[in-house]
Amino acid sequence: MKTKREETKKMKTIRLSAALATAIAVCAGMAQAEVTLSVTIDGNQDTINMMDALTAAYTAANPDVTFEIENRPGGAEGDNLVKTRLATGEAGDILQYNSGSLFQALNPAEQLADLSDIQSNVIDSFKPVVTAPDGTVRGVPFGSAMGGGIYYNKKIYAELGLSVPKTWDEFMANNEKIKAAGKVAVAQTYGDTWSSQLFVLADFYNVQAAEPGFAADYTANKAKYATSPAAMAGFQHLEDVFKAGYLNEDFGVAKFDDGVRMVATGEAAHYPMLTFALGNIKQNFPDNVNDVGFFAQPGPDAAKNGLTVWMPSALYVPASSENQDAAKAFLAFVASVEGCNIMIEANGATGPFLIKDCALPADVPASVADMLPYFQSEGMTAPALEFLSPIKGPALEQITVEVGSGIRPAAEAAALYDQDVEKQAKQLGLPNW
Amino acid sequence: MSLRRTAATRRNTGLLALAVATVVFILPFLFIFLTAVKTKQEAALLLFTWPEQWQLWQNLVDVVKTRNYMLLLAYFNSTVITAGAVALLVIFGAMVGYVLQRRPSGWNRLIYACVLIGLMVPPAVVPTIWVLQGLNLFKTIHGMILIQVAYGLAFSVLLYRGFISTIPRDLDEAAVIDGAKPWQVFFKVILPLLKPVTVTLVVVQSIAIFNDFTNPLYYLPGKDNVTVQLTLFNFQSQFQSQFNLLFMNILLVTIPPLLVFVFFNRQIVAGMTAGAVKG
Repeated sequence: MKTKREETKKMKTIRLSAALATAIAVCAGMAQAEVTLSVTIDGNQDTINMMDALTAAYTAANPDVTFEIENRPGGAEGDNLVKTRLATGEAGDILQYNSGSLFQALNPAEQLADLSDIQSNVIDSFKPVVTAPDGTVRGVPFGSAMGGGIYYNKKIYAELGLSVPKTWDEFMANNEKIKAAGKVAVAQTYGDTWSSQLFVLADFYNVQAAEPGFAADYTANKAKYATSPAAMAGFQHLEDVFKAGYLNEDFGVAKFDDGVRMVATGEAAHYPMLTFALGNIKQNFPDNVNDVGFFAQPGPDAAKNGLTVWMPSALYVPASSENQDAAKAFLAFVASVEGCNIMIEANGATGPFLIKDCALPADVPASVADMLPYFQSEGMTAPALEFLSPIKGPALEQITVEVGSGIRPAAEAAALYDQDVEKQAKQLGLPNW
Repeated sequence: MSLRRTAATRRNTGLLALAVATVVFILPFLFIFLTAVKTKQEAALLLFTWPEQWQLWQNLVDVVKTRNYMLLLAYFNSTVITAGAVALLVIFGAMVGYVLQRRPSGWNRLIYACVLIGLMVPPAVVPTIWVLQGLNLFKTIHGMILIQVAYGLAFSVLLYRGFISTIPRDLDEAAVIDGAKPWQVFFKVILPLLKPVTVTLVVVQSIAIFNDFTNPLYYLPGKDNVTVQLTLFNFQSQFQSQFNLLFMNILLVTIPPLLVFVFFNRQIVAGMTAGAVKG
């Protein structure tokens, strides 16, 4: 549309001045080779920083490729928007969106272009979460992996002489001491309902340690939260911390921002959260960045303590894009060591990147340094359930709020969640449901 | 004695009403303003406190400059959409309302049913986009104007029809006897009389269209097509928000509708009640 309008304008100019006409014709000839890629990303500041840095670097190296970056909302509104745009063929040339079960919900085999040929630098553990049902890889990783676990305030730990817990019992013993010292042991923020799911979702490493086949059995309708003691432990943990009175007084209305503030400034000792909270701490409490540490959610066995990992979002090329080749070339750049270094530079290191040979700088914040050992030894990490199974019940956050507020007992909640999941599995048309 | 008491009661009721109005209308606005002038760290607490450090100008400049002066472009786009859509709504709403009210015929029931359907049935997004794509109107400002007209027309037809029924038919007849053609009757006699209800419609619809968020989000994608409500996403996301800039943006976005409301407040109420007397 735009170029057409420009051309009509140019036509007028040509009539006006013959001398100008030649110059414009040269410009128009050059404009033919230029490509403008439209990019849709979510509005997180980290995402914007990374994409701005990447596109600027790429345009500097390839002056004929320019970018138009558009922000979209996050959450449920964003999901609707992305699906609407894909369905109407208006999703632009590059799309940033979640990997894992949300990616599967996009109908990737039809809506997204095959990116299998630009995966040479991508670490293998990422590929399954952007693989369409037909086995082709449709995305490249964008940003760093996140861990789900528990942030703790190092000052409180030092003051009370506590050590990082390896088992749930040690964790609860720490909590008891913190409570005895008159401090809030665990911050919970059910005002943002999604934040209530952490104890259940971040417990998945422990579930898998106890029942290695849980994810597959769960997808095949053979394993259930209510009948698997290991899986139910997550719900039980939520109930336990509430019953013991370890929570902050305003846990029912507090928001994610409050939780971050509490653990960063030492109002609370623990806050179960994903590691992206670091960005928030950096922005709002820059002086406290190194007061905050991080550990994986402890399970029953100290020997089997590991981290549940959330894969970063990915970049995709919609199948309807008219500039697929140019878009793919850019994504290959993003998935290279060079692209990875640009992302680290833009945002600082918030977690490990999923690009081969992309090392983090030495001076990472304390909570990231706490997280790295899990990635460095084999078998200390497990992807969260939502990356292994397409099933995630829509009502989990409401159920975990109920359990965490003492409204519903853990066993009943697990059974209710199993029912909730059933609806989604049927919607996805999975066999055996 | 009793007279004085009623005066006292009246005053007290007045004061109470004022207090309630302050809490309901002024306090939220004050909260927006105070948060908008705070620093990033202070604003993140979301507390109703006096700012320790005033950053009014700094925040204002930051918001306006964000993403290459996106807010200014958004103001322009929103103004064009609002002005265009409201102008069409007034003209078409008045015309349809006039014909519906003045010329009883067998079709009226059907037309009226269509108007009510337009008011009640929620529009579906994806088919609407298909229609727009088919007409080459998708991602264009005039396409967005037509969408807003389509969504608002039913309401304005109802409003005009109600109001026109209060205008005596004698006026039309007098004009016809004086030799006016039908279009002259409408434009020269009726339309000027519709001023109160037109002001109401202009205010109500322009605020609704200016503040519309979902429709531009779905029907008007593209970086150059941004509208003011969509600029809020520059500062707000699921996990990390810059509340000082977000609230400054809200403040800036709130000002134009607020001005409209302040200046036309009396006419709105007059127009609403004038149309409501006779159905």
